[in-house]
Amino acid sequence: MIEGRSLTKRFGGTVALDDVTVAIEAGTVHALVGENGAGKSTLGKVLAGVYQPDRGEVVVDGSAVQLRSPKAALALGITMVAQELSLVPARSVIDNVFLGIESHRCGVLSRSESHRRFDELAARYGVEAAPQATVGALSVAEQQRVEILRALARDARVIVMDEPTARLSHDEGKALGATLRDLVARGVTVVYVSHFLNEVLELSDRVTVLRNGRLVRTNRTADEQHRTLVEGIAGRELDAAYPAAPAVPEEAEPVLRLDRLTRDGEFADVSIEVRAGEIVTLAGLVGSGRTEVARTVYGATRPTSGTMELSGRDFRPSSPRAAIDRGVAMIPESRRTEGLLLMRPVTDNVSLPHLDRFTSVGVLRRGDERTRVAAAVQGVQLTGASITTPMFELSGGNQQKSLFARCMLDPPKLLVADEPTRGVDVGSKRAIYDLMVALASEGMAILAVSSEIDEVLGISHRIVVMREGRVAGELDGATAAEADLMALAFGVEGARAETRAGREESREEI
Amino acid sequence: MTAGAGTAGVSPLRRLRLADIGILWITVALFVLLWQTSDAFLTTANLRNIVDQQSLIVLAGAAATLTLISGNFDISLSATFINASIATALVFNDTGSAPLAIGAGVACGIVFGLVNGLLVTLVRINSFIATLASSFVFYGIGFLLSDRSIVRVQDRDFRQIAQGRDWGLTNASWIAVVVVLAFWFLLERTRFGRHLFAVGGNPEAARLAGIRVENVVITTFVLTGAASALAGALLASRTLSAQPSDDFSFVFSVLTAVIVGGTSIAGGEGAVWRTVLGAFFIALMNNGFNLHQIDPIIQRLIQGAVMLLAVAADSWTRSRRLGTR
Repeated sequence: MIEGRSLTKRFGGTVALDDVTVAIEAGTVHALVGENGAGKSTLGKVLAGVYQPDRGEVVVDGSAVQLRSPKAALALGITMVAQELSLVPARSVIDNVFLGIESHRCGVLSRSESHRRFDELAARYGVEAAPQATVGALSVAEQQRVEILRALARDARVIVMDEPTARLSHDEGKALGATLRDLVARGVTVVYVSHFLNEVLELSDRVTVLRNGRLVRTNRTADEQHRTLVEGIAGRELDAAYPAAPAVPEEAEPVLRLDRLTRDGEFADVSIEVRAGEIVTLAGLVGSGRTEVARTVYGATRPTSGTMELSGRDFRPSSPRAAIDRGVAMIPESRRTEGLLLMRPVTDNVSLPHLDRFTSVGVLRRGDERTRVAAAVQGVQLTGASITTPMFELSGGNQQKSLFARCMLDPPKLLVADEPTRGVDVGSKRAIYDLMVALASEGMAILAVSSEIDEVLGISHRIVVMREGRVAGELDGATAAEADLMALAFGVEGARAETRAGREESREEI
Repeated sequence: MTAGAGTAGVSPLRRLRLADIGILWITVALFVLLWQTSDAFLTTANLRNIVDQQSLIVLAGAAATLTLISGNFDISLSATFINASIATALVFNDTGSAPLAIGAGVACGIVFGLVNGLLVTLVRINSFIATLASSFVFYGIGFLLSDRSIVRVQDRDFRQIAQGRDWGLTNASWIAVVVVLAFWFLLERTRFGRHLFAVGGNPEAARLAGIRVENVVITTFVLTGAASALAGALLASRTLSAQPSDDFSFVFSVLTAVIVGGTSIAGGEGAVWRTVLGAFFIALMNNGFNLHQIDPIIQRLIQGAVMLLAVAADSWTRSRRLGTR
């Protein structure tokens, strides 16, 4: 039995966990759910000793413990299988499983002893893996099993799994679920961090809902449904979370037109049209080519074939600069690594692509810059920070709004918004949706990319679903349902399933 | 924004601002300490010497600050410094024209800087390694140019370029002041400066914001080459000679000043005034060692410890701010 009592954890200006108390019973699968940034991963990491709480304590079997490091947690039988696996790719499965706890006699490795231990371990927990295989050559799902074996080899009783299925196919996810149920039947406890609610409903015994770093509730999974979880996560009735976008006028001109756009190895034959005032969202699984299309439109990468048109004229941006100059702006997928200068003030971040507007003979007109940035920042309702505040002190929501302010400083014809609300609190989410709808109603064309199904259904005029680098189908935003979208994204429809199988065969021939 | 996030913003802010100007307090404290403990310290001659000694380091350091902010190192500025002094001395002996001589030295620095910039951006070699390797090539060129011997300047008037005095300071000191102001302006008040911070802080974000990252990096190397070369030309004037060598001590003095000043070796942060303070902090420390006759071995221990402390403080504040570990 492991408990967290009044756990609080801050990162810079962001409160990731706020006074969260949770009890995890031994021999159960306990799911932690919430939006990105709700604190579910942070809670898992605190329980596994990866993060130390600023306040509150972790209690194991009735006594308060200090988990100063993952190693200290492991000594108490708690460990984590992270989203990014931490195996040594060049070594064999067995070497990885026993890394750091090798069987040896006076420093000389004992291979027979290792094999005996490995077989025993695999048999005891029913987890299969080929001991001599090189880890780097295994699939993600297989590598995950190696990680689990590694945890078990260290006598872990509690395993925290952070978004384990995010990088798995549907079938692999199912198989992982079976493995975990099997482990629990053998006395292991699993803390399961995930934002896939169907998985959670299927797999877990109990579920804890987090929102904005705070505990919403812990409940028996049997007493929850998809709808109740979504409402708990979003904190309101689902329908109210999205503003209504006005219909696109009949006569609206196409702003962006992609014709059989292809970039080898990333996407192929993508034909999309986005009209003025229209929000078109690229949906599909991670790795289906959505982000890659967005980046190509923005000039960050170049297509191998196919054509692009912007406002009816040929468009082949050789760099982001060229795209910006033609009136395209992008909110990148990851604001920390691709968007922001964390150490610099808000002003510098917002004005960065538009410095030419505030420059005379290379010298900045700083008063002019401040005025315009202040106006842009106000336009996106950036609250609780001034334009001189360093970016790292802002909450995720305000950081994301700053990127919108950057686009607003010189309003583009086409806005490419890749995961516009990733890692953003609920309040900011709504503000960002309002902003996108307002921009669209003023005639801006918006090409969004989103992994959150509710968001895709909530904000889009039109949804383009991608699968394996191709357009799998288009849906009308007003009428589409989650099931339609999933069917296209996974390709489970009869006819589509066939084409997919055909493609997989041809891939094997290569 | 939640109330919790708002209050969390305040206390680290105050702490960091204090840490931000730590180098200023430490330099002032050292100044007061030396003033109180040594009669020889606060004399015009001693202070003028300190400024003159540091002028070449500050001159090159102001430019090297830009290279560090861009996320790169320029180890070859020692070699540029030495080559420019040789070129200046040779051209002056040939032509008798000081502007032509200094121009030749600076031109040599610009070419070397361009080579470094291209190695780092086009060939994509890590800047530390690229400039270390190019250093040896440049040192070699220096030996060839000078025919492996000291180049002496016969006309003693050439010394006035660096060592002439106006308003209490040497010309070299005044030139350093002008160059420092120019680099400060470039960094804090121009579009190029902003681009530089962006490129060093987050190159991918800079590229996606439409900045031509390669051009910015090449420009910083050219500017560092030019400034180091100007320092070399002034050295030729100061000593009336130029000597080929493969001595790295100049670049270490320069980088020590930049880093002790608090410019981040991780890129994206820093300031020219920091480098000036860093240089004077080191100078005051050395001056104090001399005035108090500290054992040179102890001096080295202390210098090394100060540098480690500066880098540790930088990495500590960064990790706190960015929430990484």
